[in-house]
Amino acid sequence: MLAKGKAGPRRQDHPLWFLIPALAVLVVFFLVPTVFNFVYAFTDWSSFKSAINFAGVDNFTSLFSNGTLVNALKVTLVYAVLVAIFQNAFGLGLALLFEKDTRVNRAVRVAFFVPVIMSALAVGYIFQALLKPDGALNGIIGWFTGTEVSIPWLGSTTWTIVVVAIVHAWKWMGLSMLIYLAGLKTISEDVLEAARLDGAGRWTMFRSIRFPLLAPAVTFNVATALLGSMNGFDIVQATTEGGPGGTTELLNIFIFRTFGQGLFAQATTMSLVLFLLVTILAFPVIRFLRKREDVL
Amino acid sequence: MKNRFRNALAIAAASAIALTGCSDPGADTGSDGPVTWPAQDADLSGTTLTIWAAQNSNTVPDSVIAGFEELTGAEVEVVTIPDPYEQGVQTKVATGDKPDLAFWQPTASQLTALNATQNLQPLDDAPWLDAYQPELRDITGILDDTRYATLITTPAVEGVYYNKEVFAANGITATPTDWDSFLQTARDLKAAGVTPFHEMAADKWATQWWVQVQLADAAADGLWDRVNANEESFTDPTIQGAIDNYKALIDEGLFNEDIKTATFEDQGAALLAGDAAMVMQVNSFFGQLQSLADTEELNQKIGFFPISPSGNTGTFIPDQSNALVAFKTGDEKREAAARQLLSYWMGDGYQDFVNAQSTVSLQTGVETPADVPEALLTVSESVGTSVGSMQALAIANPDLYLYLADMIQGTKTPAEVAEATQSQFAELAKAQGAEGF
Repeated sequence: MLAKGKAGPRRQDHPLWFLIPALAVLVVFFLVPTVFNFVYAFTDWSSFKSAINFAGVDNFTSLFSNGTLVNALKVTLVYAVLVAIFQNAFGLGLALLFEKDTRVNRAVRVAFFVPVIMSALAVGYIFQALLKPDGALNGIIGWFTGTEVSIPWLGSTTWTIVVVAIVHAWKWMGLSMLIYLAGLKTISEDVLEAARLDGAGRWTMFRSIRFPLLAPAVTFNVATALLGSMNGFDIVQATTEGGPGGTTELLNIFIFRTFGQGLFAQATTMSLVLFLLVTILAFPVIRFLRKREDVL
Repeated sequence: MKNRFRNALAIAAASAIALTGCSDPGADTGSDGPVTWPAQDADLSGTTLTIWAAQNSNTVPDSVIAGFEELTGAEVEVVTIPDPYEQGVQTKVATGDKPDLAFWQPTASQLTALNATQNLQPLDDAPWLDAYQPELRDITGILDDTRYATLITTPAVEGVYYNKEVFAANGITATPTDWDSFLQTARDLKAAGVTPFHEMAADKWATQWWVQVQLADAAADGLWDRVNANEESFTDPTIQGAIDNYKALIDEGLFNEDIKTATFEDQGAALLAGDAAMVMQVNSFFGQLQSLADTEELNQKIGFFPISPSGNTGTFIPDQSNALVAFKTGDEKREAAARQLLSYWMGDGYQDFVNAQSTVSLQTGVETPADVPEALLTVSESVGTSVGSMQALAIANPDLYLYLADMIQGTKTPAEVAEATQSQFAELAKAQGAEGF
């Protein structure tokens, strides 16, 4: 396999077969599992018997005829959109707030980045404790209003998904902030000065100059937040476990539950559906966001 | 160059797939053959046994292990599998990871979930079987006429824990004798300004007891056999009726106002404080009460009675802390040692075990220690005459509790609860290859 002689000197320094170790790791840990994700979805693999037989599209038909999967898909999409909105709003807000390189701002940026490196489960459990009817948040509100407050923040079948999306966004907003900060730094001082000379105020400057020029950062942040939170599991599992009444049951929580029942093939089928959904969604979203970058 | 690259990729992919293989890693034929039962004190120096336990059962074996290690020289390690325990164990076993022994719910549905015929040692002629009280010997742990699990403590019973002081203060002297008098008692209490029932829909899992106790008579009449054969379903009048009744009782206002957000901890505190008069629960609820009050206070305040539509038949539901299974690990020596540990546990070590655990003895020759609370004795007395729960008798265990919790939260109607449960049950039964699905 070694390239001999004819290839240029660069080729001799970097023979292709040097790729094999990395490639092997990639194949074993990424390619094969992905392929198996496709294969097992068409079998009857379960904890109940040792044999694995081909089952055709049986898993798909039974999954789609059952309302739970459609509900979980809906919840997942709503959750992802909410996370994308909140995480970017928070991240951009923080970036603008701490844009100047002062000593205080640097320290505060670190503080807001800390949740990003925290364990998601720990974050979930902390918020679960804070948001309990007799938790700290109600205690604080009660202290200010002087009354007994016992709002079940995680108990509403309508609003809990918004609350958990905010928790998710809170955890990751530090990362978005960092990327927006980097984006703000790349904006040329000349452009800003020109705008100032033209008499642009702070708001016009942001709306017409800085935000459009942040397009690459927006692309990255929106795409990762949206597509990343479609794979969400840990925070929601720790705060609500999919409740109340299944209104925060993300697809991954549903997969976890199905896998726990011993229905491995069905769980695999669902994760394949999730994979396809993310893929299908990724192309138009990224394409649309890239289009915005044409102003650059 | 491009071709060469493609070749390399193809070779790498092919070899990786070949290495991984396409078989189920959980498949293991194990060793089949005549089973011997070593003497309880046979020397086991140099042998290490592993027991998997859950967070609430990992200290249960302590006294047994200490005695066994001293007697035989074996080493026994308890490995805690994090909650949710059952999912964790099933996943590990499916990938080929097995302990020597594990705590496991000894019901047919859960033994099926572990693929008992493939993975577990049969315990058919175990030496301790005759020591059991006769009515408990074959109550559970058996799948397709083969015994796979050893019952070590009295199985949980679904029934009503009540606050004796609240009953007395409202002039109730006798506990209800059937479903109608049970509801009458509740309505009388409500009229007197007391919350009759407490439910914990935020933690979900106890919601199913209300439906299951209503099915006790039907269960005695073979309900679950018919469900298992797909001759009757959750949407048919019997089970649907029980779900509808539960919903009607909630709508009637017989439950605590914070039913949607109340937790397991709230439930224990509420019953003990007399904020609610009755709680439909299982033994682990009493464990929760024991963490809040001492035996004397519990004897004074808390009582238990089983309930069923026509009388006081309990519904039993053994859980993971009640029983152990021994795995086929393929290592004959360790498999024999695991059987020996069980022999000791249910043999010479049993008295120490029930003393250390302050639990009710299952054996005729072993005394129940004096410090077992009265309510637990009542629970254990009801086991002999009780009928099996869905978990004990159905071939699969669908998430009925989850759908009922959804119903309480208002996102499912009673009819949708039955439909969702039935479709999940059918899915599980089909995966098991059950006839009729």
